[in-house]
Amino acid sequence: MTNPKPDQAQNPPQNPAPSQPPVLIEGLAKRLGRDVLAVDGLDLRVEKGQVMGLAGPNGAGKSVTLRILLGLVRPDSGRVEVFGERVHAGAKVLGRVGALVDGPGFVPHLSGMVNLRLAWRMTGRPETDADLERALEIAGLGRAIDRPYKSYSHGMRYRLGLAQALMGKPDLLVLDEPTTGLDPAHVVEIRKAIEAASQHGATVLFSSHQLAEVQRICSHAAIMRDGKLVMSGQVTDLVGEHASLEAAYLAAVEDGNTHQEGEIAGTHSQGDGSP
Amino acid sequence: MTLVAMGLFAAVLTVALEATGPGHTERVGDIPLLVVPRTSGFSVPVIALQSTMKFFLPLAVAVFAGESVAADAAWGTMRYALARPISRTRYLISKLVVASVLSLLAVVLMSLVGLAVGTAAFGWHAFAAADGSTSTVVHAVATFAPAASLARITLATLYVAAGMTSIFAFAFLLSTLTTRPFVAVAGGVGLTLLSRVFNGDYLPGVAVLNRYMPNNDIDLWDHLFQTPAQTAGMVHFLLLQVVYVVVFLGLAWWWFLRKDVLV
Repeated sequence: MTNPKPDQAQNPPQNPAPSQPPVLIEGLAKRLGRDVLAVDGLDLRVEKGQVMGLAGPNGAGKSVTLRILLGLVRPDSGRVEVFGERVHAGAKVLGRVGALVDGPGFVPHLSGMVNLRLAWRMTGRPETDADLERALEIAGLGRAIDRPYKSYSHGMRYRLGLAQALMGKPDLLVLDEPTTGLDPAHVVEIRKAIEAASQHGATVLFSSHQLAEVQRICSHAAIMRDGKLVMSGQVTDLVGEHASLEAAYLAAVEDGNTHQEGEIAGTHSQGDGSP
Repeated sequence: MTLVAMGLFAAVLTVALEATGPGHTERVGDIPLLVVPRTSGFSVPVIALQSTMKFFLPLAVAVFAGESVAADAAWGTMRYALARPISRTRYLISKLVVASVLSLLAVVLMSLVGLAVGTAAFGWHAFAAADGSTSTVVHAVATFAPAASLARITLATLYVAAGMTSIFAFAFLLSTLTTRPFVAVAGGVGLTLLSRVFNGDYLPGVAVLNRYMPNNDIDLWDHLFQTPAQTAGMVHFLLLQVVYVVVFLGLAWWWFLRKDVLV
């Protein structure tokens, strides 16, 4: 479990050795219960430095995909790799991943600070690896950091959750609907934190059902529907001549032409990866 | 909080015994063992164990075991722990160890506080127990020197603690299955009560099951205060606990390794 130093992440070597993509998903399928095919043959590749938005309506399979990526859910079939290592429960490579999934999760009666330290201890990494100062800066809780978590507002909880996700200086940041239910001011803070993480060299994969948000934040997007990938690629390519990413998505869905959808899905960009 | 309540119980019990007039006896267990409370400090832990082993101690143990994993799931902290490079087995073992230590503390605390306040109130004297099984009119009196009393109380405490393990393991299993701690705790308590229901005294038709229920023979530790101590039933009960623990914890481990964490 090694983490690149921030300066390495910001200034990659001139002739880097071929590296494994932060996220590689091939033929992923997962059935929940008897009737629900949550993920159906998903292929997705996220390159280093990208800010990838995994978008789609509720029930599209985004959250399940992210949970499989974190080793929380076992896929029925398919291949899921993070930095070239197969993901399973407790996989070593998960030490390079920071996550905020389905909202923050902390012990209610403990303070924000104790919760952060507790969460860090679970990583099994030495305390010197933790970027606690930056985490506290992101959390922006001031003196409230020593108050019990249960006294926090919704926005404060999310900021603490984001701080926890970023505390280990992750190479891959996985965020599941990180702005859901937040007021506009907090949404802006979350956006800034994502941008900052990206500038520090992290690859970001975050899910949202709001395509406008994906268009605004992301360099790349993958849009799912009914467990399948509808379109993916660089956001500017996907929008094309349409007014917005949402308009492009609706046009692709209304066409209902699987061949066309396949073409759109195949427009995956191997660009420079900059957001 | 639960442990504090356990400690307070023994203290309050001593005050209650102090208020009891001399000559009063407490019936303990199935023999029955008749204890004269105010003659020795050892009477307090004996009565404390007897009065808590069938509900309050199982409740405490069910709380510690039932909340261990389910509370983590309810708070959302489990998904963050399991999204780390930590094996699920290791996670489960750490939860198991913490809940086990707390449960053991609950039982030990009951005896320890009882002994401490009992000794302070009634002194470090030989413990006389009247064995009510020999006659309902004239009881044979067995007297145990303080050292022998301490040894028997220690064994009785360990026996009660071991007797809680089936309830503990069942609540722990439920804790891996649900995201509602209350359900797991209620399940543990429910098994205790179910064990009572399948008692030959209440339902003669199921008397054959009596010896195989997880909690019925927990009161057999009073046989330690017979001379000589009768331990055959105790050994059977402890072996039964091992079977229940292996089955329940084995299921918990099997399931947890395969579980999809969706909350």
